Amino acid sequence: MLLEALIKIAILIGGLMTAAAYLVLVERWMAAWIQGRIGPNRVGVPLTRIRLFGLGQPIADGLKFILKEEYVPAHVDKWLYYLAPMAILTAALAAFAVIPFGSVLPPDVSFPGGEEPIQLVVAPGIDVGMLYVFALSSMAIYGVTLGGWASNNKYSFLGGLRSSAQLIAYEIPLGLGILGVVLMTGSLRLEEIIGAQAQSGLWFAFSQPLGLLVFSVAACAEAGRLPFDLPEAEQELVGGYHTEYAGMKLMMYLVGEFLHMITAAFLIVILFFGGWHLWGVTGSSNDVNWFQAIARILVLVTKILLVVLLFMLVRWSWPRFRFDQLMALAWKVMLPLGLVHLFTMAVLSEYAERWAGGAAPWVIVGVGWLVAVAACLVAGTLTAVSTGNQAIRE
Amino acid sequence: MARVIIDSVEIEIGDDERLNGIQAAARAGIDIPRYCWHPGLSVVASCRMCLVETGTRNVETGDVVMLPKLVPACQTPARDGTVFITQSDKVQHSRAMVEEDLLIDHPIDCPICDKAGECYLQDYYFKYGHGGRRADVRPFTSRRRDVGPTVTLFTDRCVMCTRCVRFTREISGTSELMVRDRGAHEEIDIFSGFPLENKLAGNVVDICPVGALGDKDFLYQQRVWFMKRHEAVCTGCSTGCSIYVEENQDRVYRLKPRENEHVNQWWMCDEGRYGYHYVHSPKRVVGAQRRVETSEENGDNVPAYENVEWQPILDDLQARLAKAGRLAAVFSPHLTVEEAYLLAKLVHGVDAEATLAIGPVPVVGEDESYPNGFTIRAEKCPNHRGLQLVLSHFTDRVLAFDQFLEELPNIDVGATWVTGGYPQPWIDEASASRFDEVPLLIMQDIFASPLWERASYRLPGVAFAARPGSYVNHRDRLQTADWAIRPPAGARVEGSVYWQMLGMSGLYRPQRVLDEIAATVPAFAMAAGPLPSVGVDLRLNQFAEAATAAASETGDHC
Amino acid sequence: MKQDDAHISWVEPPKLGLSGRMYLPLLAQGLTTTARHLFSQKVTTQFPEQRPEIGNPLIYRGVHRLNKDAGGRVKCVACFLCATACPAHCIDIIGTESPWDDREKYPESFTIDELRCIYCGMCEEACPVDAIELTSMFDLTGRSREEMIFDKEKLLSVYDQTKDAEPSRSQRAASEGATT
Repeated sequence: MLLEALIKIAILIGGLMTAAAYLVLVERWMAAWIQGRIGPNRVGVPLTRIRLFGLGQPIADGLKFILKEEYVPAHVDKWLYYLAPMAILTAALAAFAVIPFGSVLPPDVSFPGGEEPIQLVVAPGIDVGMLYVFALSSMAIYGVTLGGWASNNKYSFLGGLRSSAQLIAYEIPLGLGILGVVLMTGSLRLEEIIGAQAQSGLWFAFSQPLGLLVFSVAACAEAGRLPFDLPEAEQELVGGYHTEYAGMKLMMYLVGEFLHMITAAFLIVILFFGGWHLWGVTGSSNDVNWFQAIARILVLVTKILLVVLLFMLVRWSWPRFRFDQLMALAWKVMLPLGLVHLFTMAVLSEYAERWAGGAAPWVIVGVGWLVAVAACLVAGTLTAVSTGNQAIRE
Repeated sequence: MARVIIDSVEIEIGDDERLNGIQAAARAGIDIPRYCWHPGLSVVASCRMCLVETGTRNVETGDVVMLPKLVPACQTPARDGTVFITQSDKVQHSRAMVEEDLLIDHPIDCPICDKAGECYLQDYYFKYGHGGRRADVRPFTSRRRDVGPTVTLFTDRCVMCTRCVRFTREISGTSELMVRDRGAHEEIDIFSGFPLENKLAGNVVDICPVGALGDKDFLYQQRVWFMKRHEAVCTGCSTGCSIYVEENQDRVYRLKPRENEHVNQWWMCDEGRYGYHYVHSPKRVVGAQRRVETSEENGDNVPAYENVEWQPILDDLQARLAKAGRLAAVFSPHLTVEEAYLLAKLVHGVDAEATLAIGPVPVVGEDESYPNGFTIRAEKCPNHRGLQLVLSHFTDRVLAFDQFLEELPNIDVGATWVTGGYPQPWIDEASASRFDEVPLLIMQDIFASPLWERASYRLPGVAFAARPGSYVNHRDRLQTADWAIRPPAGARVEGSVYWQMLGMSGLYRPQRVLDEIAATVPAFAMAAGPLPSVGVDLRLNQFAEAATAAASETGDHC
Repeated sequence: MKQDDAHISWVEPPKLGLSGRMYLPLLAQGLTTTARHLFSQKVTTQFPEQRPEIGNPLIYRGVHRLNKDAGGRVKCVACFLCATACPAHCIDIIGTESPWDDREKYPESFTIDELRCIYCGMCEEACPVDAIELTSMFDLTGRSREEMIFDKEKLLSVYDQTKDAEPSRSQRAASEGATT
């Protein structure tokens, strides 16, 4: 068991780190293409003219970070300064302990421990998986606020402050967003949530669009991605909480943030897009053959990649919120929407089956969309018509 | 009281004052352009730039009667009831025509003319000239010829104001320059075989309103707009002319006289004007050094020196000075009043019986006086008088250098502090050998000398341009100079060394020292507070004291 | 700034409709715009392989050159006007009396710190004799800071390299005068 877990951890961490490195490359490509440029395309095999479309770039980037001077400013709080990037990276990686990165591998007696189907999750069978993920992703705020505090620098401190306010505000919609899913499946185990969607073939994205909206916006804010990247806002705060960091410590911050985004993508896919499930390809039970097992991994990875690409597209499309807009969005829009969603799902999970019988799923989908559109319309009507300079003039 | 009206501004002129229109207008804050008129020279009214409308006001009726023609303001006395109009269309038009006339055959070579930037022709053209140029008669070149060893003449740039000619006739009294030919062919020239060669020749460059007379020393060296000017005092002789030091990036490019009616009026001599070059001499000594006793090699005890940073060497010196016993100090007449005071205080603080002597006072030739009263003094140092006043506060017996040399073997000194700073070599081997028996010899100087070779501590000092402080000239006028350039790396202003060794906080601030001197030394009572740029006469106080003493003797306290 | 300053013209932001206030439709619009750009024509020039096209080399602001006159002498008269105009203080001139009869002053040394220069072209504007000009050479490199401080000889050699492709302003004026 221990060996199995260690192997899984090795695969997961290796995969995640590589993925993070290459996703940075992808992000730079996306940025370039959206801006009409070509993007990194030079670094290939060293000492040759082979360029490989710039696939060597992540290695060069990593080397650069490693070879940079480990500079520690004189005025920082040394302990916290070293602790902060470790905290953020540790929290980001540990969250993956309960997140499945596939379904199961079929039993194979040819190697010891292969008699049972192998669950593709580091710590299988944890009943409070969702809570664990939430707890750890909230831990990341320690890295940010500690970094901001320890740097002993006004910009860093402001970044840390903003970050704590933002993360606290968006924790609530984040939680409300998934409650519908939890109500419908009756479990906090991520494997079971995927299983429920695979069984019914109805992804929660179809039945709970409002939940998806609230959750993905909140997840984006939690990850500090661009429309919500106020903590590091380069134009205002130099680099926010990581202004004073360089070299490997800076890289830990950056990787931690990237892992945050990947975690968010995992959760969105698992909770709302059926995880590894794809109709007609992957099957739905735990009795799998090798083809299905591999297909499930590929389907999951593809879905996640698509969500990450969407995140990147969003980053290069939308400008950053102002801080008051950010707070207004969290407390005045996302929180009510989340409550409406929770109420709807609670009612539906209790009464849909009783009233509609076999047509219950269709009722849920219909009511879910109806409520979502109505809620968005109401939210739109009630929000301020203009955020212009009236207040400044008066 | 005469009342004069200039452009509807009414000013009052004292009864014993005789002002012309330009001076009266200046009192009213109005600048009348002029080329030929200079306050220090006679009036010729030849340039016609200062033409204004004038008239008289009938004192009883108040009616103003204007003259139909324009008159030169420089030649029109301001009397009671005189009215000047300096900004009317008629006057403006006249000025524009004068400018156009002057520029018809003036070469437009401003880019290579050293006067550009401080040229009256340029300034007035922008202020008063026409916008365009109607005549373009020939390609412009400047014919150039030397009129003397220091001055060169660009004939075509001349506007024939004849200021230079009048200067040589009235101020220097040597009359080398003249106007040759007549009309459009007029040129400034010298009499063949008699070049412009007097000790005030450099002034003709200053008074030239355009770029016709060039200073060979400054020619092509620097553009005037790059230079920053600092108020200073010439240290060439004990006249102590008020000057500007003009520098760019810690390099002095020229010295210019600064108007001071009490000392030098508008002039300065060429000795002072070109005497600054030693400031940038490559022979300057830099880097503080301490003598290291070496073992005898080949029978000769060759002294060796080690370079030490300023902070440790001063700490070390302070410790040695405290244990040295009897002290003596030689004050160079190139030191400022503040520096002399600080050094005397420093030495006195260690040894209250210290011997204080004034360094050699260089005397070259005899005083040279010029017809208008300008005098080049034979005493070639700026602060002899100041030293006498400062040192007599500390001791009754201020020794001259010769006396000091004679007495030196008799007083059993433990340490002697000698300051130099002379542009020329100031001590010979024979005199220097008198110091052989001094166990601790501290030298501050800017050039190596026989005495420098004997020093235990070598503390490189600075030249005048880097030295802030006050000087007292031979007529007891105290003037303050500002530092213009930073000392070369490895040299320190003498005063800042004393300042630090006395444990005073912050940077060396001569003003603070001068305030202290004014408060403690009676002779300097007049130097308290902010001083005017023309300086202050220290004797005023003595007159006042004498008057008070006389008054108290007679018991009359009014 | 006073609120009622007559020079301020207050502009109201456009009013958002219901779809705008709902955010989502406008967000989708933004996403489609950027998504379209993902596949648009790229403007990057692949530099070492592909040379950029310089629209008009005569107004391009690249490396400086010091022009020579008909006699092959440096045209500069050491008036310091370029050094005066230079906002980066990268020009250093030492002027002296010229060795020629028809000229008074010339630069004994003329150096430009190409690393300090911001290529604004003010020196070219200021020059009264069209002696300093900016060429269309943009890809200058050096292995040390010292190497990038161009002296008079180097600046004159830039003129020799570029004089055929980019005639100096006075040459152009002369040729235009000849054709018209």
